[in-house]
Amino acid sequence: MQTQEAIVQGLAAEPKLNYLTNGWTIRSWLLTKDHKRIAIMYLISVSVFFFIGGLYAGAIRLELLTPASDLLESGTYNKVFTQHGILMIFFFLIPSIPAILGNFLLPLMIGAKDLALPRINLLSLYIYWAGGALVLFALMQGGVDTGWTFYAPYSTTFSNTYVMLVGLGIFINGFSSILTGLNFIVSIHTMRAPGMTWFRLPLFVWAHYATSLVMVLGTPVIAITILLLALERVGKIGIFDPSIGGDPILFQHLFWFYSHPAVYIMILPGMGVISELISNFSRKKIFGYEFIAFSSIAIAVFGFLVWGHHMFVSGQSMYAGLVFSFLTMVVAVPSAIKVFNWTATLYKGSISFDTPMLYAIGFIGLFLVGGLTGLFLGAMGLTVHLTDTYFIVAHFHYVMVGGQVIAYLGGIHYWWPKMTGKMYSEFWGKISAMLIFVGFNLTFFPQFILGYMGMPRRYAAYPEELQVLNIFSTAGASVLGFGLLMPVVYLGHSLIFGKAAGDNPWMLPGLEWRTASPPPTENFEKMPVVTWEAYEFGEESGLDLEGARKRDAEATAAT
Amino acid sequence: MSTHSDTHEHHNTPGLQHQFEDMKQQEDSVSIGMWMFLVQEIMFFGGLFTVYLVFRSQYPMAFAAGSNHLDAFLGGLNTLVLIVSSLTMALTVYYAQKGNRNMQVILIVLTMIFGAAFLGVKAIEYTDKYNHGLVPVTGLNKKIKEEKTAGHSVGHSSEHEKPCYEVDHNAPVVEHPNPKGEFLWTDCSLAKLGLDTNTLTVAEKNGYFSNDKIDANKFRDKVRIFFWIYFVMTGLHALHMIIGLGLMAWLGWKAFRNTYSSEYYMPVEMSGLYWHFVDIVWIFLFPLLYLLGRHFLH
Amino acid sequence: MQNTSWVPLFPEQASTFAWQVDLLYVYLIVVSVAFTIPIVAAVFFFAIKYRATEKYATPDEMHGSMVLEVAWSIIPFVISMTIFLGGAIIYYQQFTPPADSMDIYVVGKQWMWKVQHETGQREINALHVPVGRNIKLTMTTEDTLHNFDIPAFRTKADVVPGRYTYMWFNATKPGKYRLYCAEYCGLNHSGMGGWVYVMEQRDFDNWLSGNVSGQTPVEAGKDLFENKIGCASCHAGGPTQRGAKLEGIFNQDVKLVGGATVKADDNYIRNSILNPASQIVEGYQPIMPTYKGQVTEEQLNSLVAYIKSLTPNAAAGMTAPAAANTATAPATNANSTPAANKPTAKPLANSSK
Repeated sequence: MQTQEAIVQGLAAEPKLNYLTNGWTIRSWLLTKDHKRIAIMYLISVSVFFFIGGLYAGAIRLELLTPASDLLESGTYNKVFTQHGILMIFFFLIPSIPAILGNFLLPLMIGAKDLALPRINLLSLYIYWAGGALVLFALMQGGVDTGWTFYAPYSTTFSNTYVMLVGLGIFINGFSSILTGLNFIVSIHTMRAPGMTWFRLPLFVWAHYATSLVMVLGTPVIAITILLLALERVGKIGIFDPSIGGDPILFQHLFWFYSHPAVYIMILPGMGVISELISNFSRKKIFGYEFIAFSSIAIAVFGFLVWGHHMFVSGQSMYAGLVFSFLTMVVAVPSAIKVFNWTATLYKGSISFDTPMLYAIGFIGLFLVGGLTGLFLGAMGLTVHLTDTYFIVAHFHYVMVGGQVIAYLGGIHYWWPKMTGKMYSEFWGKISAMLIFVGFNLTFFPQFILGYMGMPRRYAAYPEELQVLNIFSTAGASVLGFGLLMPVVYLGHSLIFGKAAGDNPWMLPGLEWRTASPPPTENFEKMPVVTWEAYEFGEESGLDLEGARKRDAEATAAT
Repeated sequence: MSTHSDTHEHHNTPGLQHQFEDMKQQEDSVSIGMWMFLVQEIMFFGGLFTVYLVFRSQYPMAFAAGSNHLDAFLGGLNTLVLIVSSLTMALTVYYAQKGNRNMQVILIVLTMIFGAAFLGVKAIEYTDKYNHGLVPVTGLNKKIKEEKTAGHSVGHSSEHEKPCYEVDHNAPVVEHPNPKGEFLWTDCSLAKLGLDTNTLTVAEKNGYFSNDKIDANKFRDKVRIFFWIYFVMTGLHALHMIIGLGLMAWLGWKAFRNTYSSEYYMPVEMSGLYWHFVDIVWIFLFPLLYLLGRHFLH
Repeated sequence: MQNTSWVPLFPEQASTFAWQVDLLYVYLIVVSVAFTIPIVAAVFFFAIKYRATEKYATPDEMHGSMVLEVAWSIIPFVISMTIFLGGAIIYYQQFTPPADSMDIYVVGKQWMWKVQHETGQREINALHVPVGRNIKLTMTTEDTLHNFDIPAFRTKADVVPGRYTYMWFNATKPGKYRLYCAEYCGLNHSGMGGWVYVMEQRDFDNWLSGNVSGQTPVEAGKDLFENKIGCASCHAGGPTQRGAKLEGIFNQDVKLVGGATVKADDNYIRNSILNPASQIVEGYQPIMPTYKGQVTEEQLNSLVAYIKSLTPNAAAGMTAPAAANTATAPATNANSTPAANKPTAKPLANSSK
């Protein structure tokens, strides 16, 4: 029994069919409608792409140890950084939290049996595989060298690489994103359990709602942009080719109209995870719940208005530049509000330093740097100097790796017991979190300095005087790489040798903790009825803290 | 509800999927889902509309010239066909709600006939473009060897010397040599007339002229952009239409099997939404592509 | 290090924009530190002070504070507006070239910069300007996007095919400053750099009239080869080598694409510079651009002299015996000076990349 009664009575979870053991055939996995199984399949696939993208990153940093283009020929280097960007952005960062943690947890958090459209969810996974397979195939054939930004006219007219094949893969993959977002929006509207009002929803859910809006509205634009790019390559149309009257800047506008909101697709779910981690590991309701919820929506909306800040030196008019710079400053404010609210949540909390909390605290520091350097880049006079330099590279790695990847890892560690029923080694978890934090800073902080010194990005060879900083960066990258590989080992180890987690190892109020670990296929034995506010850690939310304390005492006495 | 009685309830309610508690939840979900899907489609076509608007505002004369070579009568006919098909679709939903199987099937078949008619007219239009060298991809136009043409042949078709023919709109169509099946803009009457430079946009001032004279090849390139946008937009629209026909076929089959009633008619309504959306996209495409800048009198 | 600025983390300040951009940068660093330190300190302080002393504690509820929310919305917004204003002021200046600017024309192409002064003087991968004058660059590109980037001046601008883009600056300090291409443009994007030379007005006038003082033709040729014209970017050996090796070729037989064999004499070298497409060495791609109109006769002579000097004993008219069909190994150093004591010159036939 996994019901409230069982928890109250202090009974251990009886072995029962959970979503992992409910069917052992390949068919039962590949044709599943269970959102949890789909999430696990995403986890495996996304990790593969992260690994390959990471190998490319390693190649980049190794090449940049020396000023000359000696390890990799410049043609190869161009392909390496392009493919690093494409795999990381489209096949890792964008799906990671929504497709894995979102898929797994959203129905649990709202008290539903599944998402509203399970077959669409499965279709979205198939589409992800199709797009990914096509891109991997293209990489094996020879890859692309246009930069992940595919700027015309290089990508339309000059590049001799597999632009169309990779473009097609990304085009297909976009629909995976759209369908996931669509599914989340519908589910959050219609599948909430009785009593689960909008303002009782965990902030993870709010974050995913905002993300889904961006996914659904923004992704079709990149789809059409890639389609036009492919047609231009094949048919030499002249939409982007100026010799026939086209406009390369039009490509940039179309491209960034999606790709800027895309960065919010990447960071908003991460912020949702952090809200969960900070609140739960301080055992205190998040400070300013409504403000965080609304700022997620505000970021999603305003995120569509600032794409021109990627084009300040492209030749767009000064007045357009002024407008985009102003709006960029505006969009920074909701993120600042979140950081302040997270910090305030810690005040007078009861803070424990489990591995997920280490990631959350690391996130606050790293996202702060990343976000503030975004202000540097939104300030027009300054950004002219910093555009297309390593300052940009450092900025976006701080927000995407220091922000999103840290949040992703924090989330994986936090919900690992729920997804697998096992606890991992806290010791190795903490070590790895700290290695990642140190390695990350050592890798990317020198790049701010390199950027201000003028080192342009996408350079295989650079002036000698910049070598020392590059060496620091590569040294950091090795530490970071090692730190990122460690979870594979100890999380994998925990699957076999880990201690059983129990339903609610930390006695937390979220609905996902009110069912077995791992949950049964239908999520809840009995559909919950919510009568408590979000983030209530006491007995009034139905948590049996006394029982938990008794069990702990018995366990300690027994050892 | 435990799992067991849950299944029992589900078997009593036709069409209710396992993840939903009741039909209302299912209906709300598919409705929101379909609307979100259509919003996404609007963003998709929106990108194309943006590209069209950017280029029309830059090269209005070339785009007007292109518009003139689209058959507004056929386009208008297609508009009428689609509007009527939307009517039959709406009536289908009405009769599905009433549970009237025969009327549903008849109206779905009628909708499909109109949809097919639309595609047929599109095929006629595309063939016409093929015959007249207006497909913007070399090799996809009708190849006409040089000997077959009567008079009017000027020079040979090399990249730099493609000729620009006078077209008399009252005279029968003359076939021009096109051995490689290239895009062959044939009407240079606008170019020959000498454009009033005061009415040209900045882009046009650079884009149509070489050495201060009208360059037929450059003008042709801009018209070619128009035809690219025409084919991509109407082609994507036609693709959605084909998908719509497939949807109708499936719907017709289910309706024939008496699946829909006042208790369960959402799939019909959702299919209707999709069909209306495809219709509305055409309502925007038609005036923008066929009618703007058109000269009805030559 | 190239820069001698007193702050080692900044490039030299060499234009009228530079101090303003640096000031805004420092202001932003101050703002960032002013926000980061308190927040990080608060996080650490709270984390330690409020660490869990008992498991499953239930601290007092605290939902929020409208006052705080408004405060920490408005204050960051106001600060961000000051940043916006600072940036806008500098940007406005960067975007409005003064009316009395000296015009210079720049054309980017894969993978070099071609610069032309109003007086007709041309340069490649280099830009000579007088100090203290407003200089306006009118720029375009022959192929893809590039970006003319001078970090010491704190300014850059994309060059876009099919139109002109502009940037301007006023250099404040004589010296030599790096020029980069800062918009990815394909294979040799990282090699598309050069130098901006800021000179006193008198030196600049001298330079403009072609007076390069005190160099022998071979020295002048070496300077042209390695720096001013940039032949070295393809001919210097190493992994970026795309052009035929020039060490030891003088007066050797060269096999061309199409089967003909010619002797690499003075005329051959001169013709290779002015009309490279007419004689492609076998095993190489026809990618060398022509330098017709971009080198003066005097410069041509210097280049020929320098290339000749890459073959030992060439001046004396003695040539080493040619060994047939030996593949040459690419040089491993970027410098084109021939190794001393090399007795045999190797032919260019069958060298492949």
